[in-house]
Amino acid sequence: MAANAGNKIRNAKLVLLGDVGAGKSSLVLRFVKGQFVEFQESTIGAAFFSQTLAVNDETVKFEIWDTAGQERYHSLAPMYYRGAAAAIVVYDITNPASFTRAKKWVQELQAQGNPSTVVALAGNKADLLETRKVQIEEAKTYAQENRLFFMETSAKTAINVNDIFYEIAKRLLQGQPAQNPQAGMVLTQRPNERLVSASSCCS
Amino acid sequence: MADEPGGGGCSLQDYPTIDPTSFDVVLCGTGLPESVLAAACAAAGKTVLHVDPNPFYGSLFSSLPLPSLPSFLSSSSGSVPSPSSSATTLSTTSYAVVDLHRRSLYSEVETSGTVPELSRRITVDLVGPRVLYCADEGVDLLLRSGGSHHVEFKSVEGGTLLYWEGGLYPVPDSRQAIFKDTTLQLKEKNLLFRFFKLVQTHIAASSAGAEVGEGEASGKLPEEDLDLPFIEFLKKQHLSPKMRAVVLYAIAMADYGQDGAHSCEKLLTTREGIKTIALYSSSIGRFANAEGAFIYPMYGHGELPQAFCRCAAVKGALYVLRMPATALLVDEGKKRYVGTRLASGQDILCQQLILDPSYEIPSLDMPCNAPVSNSPRKVARGICIISSSVKQDSLNVLVVFPPKSLEEEQVAAVRVLQLSSNLAVCPPGMFMVYLSTPCADAFTGKKYINKAIEILFTTKASDDPEGHLEITSENNKEVKPTLIWSCVYVQEITEGTTTLSCPMPDENLDYRSILESTKKLFAEICPNDEFLPRNSAPKYADDDSDSAE
Repeated sequence: MAANAGNKIRNAKLVLLGDVGAGKSSLVLRFVKGQFVEFQESTIGAAFFSQTLAVNDETVKFEIWDTAGQERYHSLAPMYYRGAAAAIVVYDITNPASFTRAKKWVQELQAQGNPSTVVALAGNKADLLETRKVQIEEAKTYAQENRLFFMETSAKTAINVNDIFYEIAKRLLQGQPAQNPQAGMVLTQRPNERLVSASSCCS
Repeated sequence: MADEPGGGGCSLQDYPTIDPTSFDVVLCGTGLPESVLAAACAAAGKTVLHVDPNPFYGSLFSSLPLPSLPSFLSSSSGSVPSPSSSATTLSTTSYAVVDLHRRSLYSEVETSGTVPELSRRITVDLVGPRVLYCADEGVDLLLRSGGSHHVEFKSVEGGTLLYWEGGLYPVPDSRQAIFKDTTLQLKEKNLLFRFFKLVQTHIAASSAGAEVGEGEASGKLPEEDLDLPFIEFLKKQHLSPKMRAVVLYAIAMADYGQDGAHSCEKLLTTREGIKTIALYSSSIGRFANAEGAFIYPMYGHGELPQAFCRCAAVKGALYVLRMPATALLVDEGKKRYVGTRLASGQDILCQQLILDPSYEIPSLDMPCNAPVSNSPRKVARGICIISSSVKQDSLNVLVVFPPKSLEEEQVAAVRVLQLSSNLAVCPPGMFMVYLSTPCADAFTGKKYINKAIEILFTTKASDDPEGHLEITSENNKEVKPTLIWSCVYVQEITEGTTTLSCPMPDENLDYRSILESTKKLFAEICPNDEFLPRNSAPKYADDDSDSAE
């Protein structure tokens, strides 16, 4: 996603990774719509969400990709990672297995993605303190070792949700604009489409 | 891509259990037809399970990292290991189990040269040479499904070159191209202009609708002309042999010689020829940033199935890679398939089952013994890595060797597509080249692929005087690109004999025929639903559709 130098809007593809039930979609819905649904369906039926965030006098326009359930049987396509400027790896603080899996997702991302991708680790469901199984120190240490930035979040109470996106935006703006000189064209339906074009071979 | 997506940590024997166990539609294999079907079925509200034996998307339509190519071409045959297949005439089941086998479509694989460094950054298509017309069904399906958001394209901006009498000539495919062409005589230009104008008038009149009338005054060509072999029509327009070759093989993309000397194959009618010209002309200029009629997906053709699979997933389809289907479940009473057994041993029931063409489909009457009756069609394919472009200052170029241009006995055209690093299929400093020709036997097919390779490239980087190929339009001699690595092989093409099986990658330059078959399959699966209706694109929350480049 190329940067738009003119009015300081930075487009950034952000992908969510993490186990089923860690709360990926809930985080997005909280951030984009300010909503929380206790029993969120696995599939939310959107290819991606767009949300803009202002940082000082600059703007980051996130295009947020959810996994669409393809992570459930470890079947994410390479396409999912392509061109991702940022990623949030989500685990559930009440579920140690989801933390183990989060580490695998980080490895996966490092193998697939590009090294300049900003990676955040989110320990979600931070409102469920009494059933916590993953200690905050353990996650912090892991994040430091792997140069991720880390926050515990709660999509339910909205704790740290905007903050984690804001921090990502800040880091994206600090870094070099994602340069993708190779960007191709995205096909779009054009209103001016005509069956026969003026420059066609038969004119 | 053959990179292990999705987290790893999952050994091959470690098959997950799928929940639920019953679906409207189960598809095995994630080739383009299966993926389009998955997206269409999910959009129609069906519950869909989509599995693939490989750890990557795309099946026979995928793009692989170069190091994975040899094993893919030599594998994918034999029977699928079935852990518990024969032991299941359980009294509790009301269905019979018929083991599935997979076959290899590839043969006669020959590689030469040295694999360059950074070979993992080289992505090879299994369906090459292939492009999309800007105005073809593939592009429409991408737009309708929302898949277009997931794939970026670039133009085959170098246009098409025709190999004719020992030289490469740019194909004059537009008014400007005819004007600019320095190789055509004035008379040829005038005749070509007149021909294109005639065809254009016909196309415009036909698309304006029937109410204009059928008479000559409407601008439409008379029916008897449309039924004529296209070559006869071109002769009637006094086009020279070279101009006929341009129109027949480089614009209408005829596969086989149209001169009739070979009594044979498929003689294109004027109607068919004009249909392709109409598509060609409506493709030029359809997208503001596209030069020419053809576009190619960045990162290779394997992106297209991924895009449709994602559309399907967004609509609720369930995805499981690394999961072979090992058997069909057959309802003996009704004589139909009721489901499939997966490599995990789990039985999945479904209303409709679709398999990719690498699965041999046992017929219901004679299980496990359904020999293909007629000998299958074949296509010889070549993949080359070269050092420089075949056309100066062009990145992506199509080259056509018309029938008889390589030798008198050559009955089918050889098509060549050169792709550059701007498509992210190889590192800078090299080019990928795909060649194909339909053939009756492997020997002949490979012979013409190799001849075309010899003509276009040199194997030694030297000042060898033979290492020059005349690009007549440039009026100067250019050094032939050096061939770094090549792989030539033969793929068989069998038509799906049952409604169970999706089409294979064919010998064509585009996906039109494959998608036509896919559409028919969908009509059988979902007779009451529209095929990927325009509103089936997922809703993009807060999307202000600014995705235009």
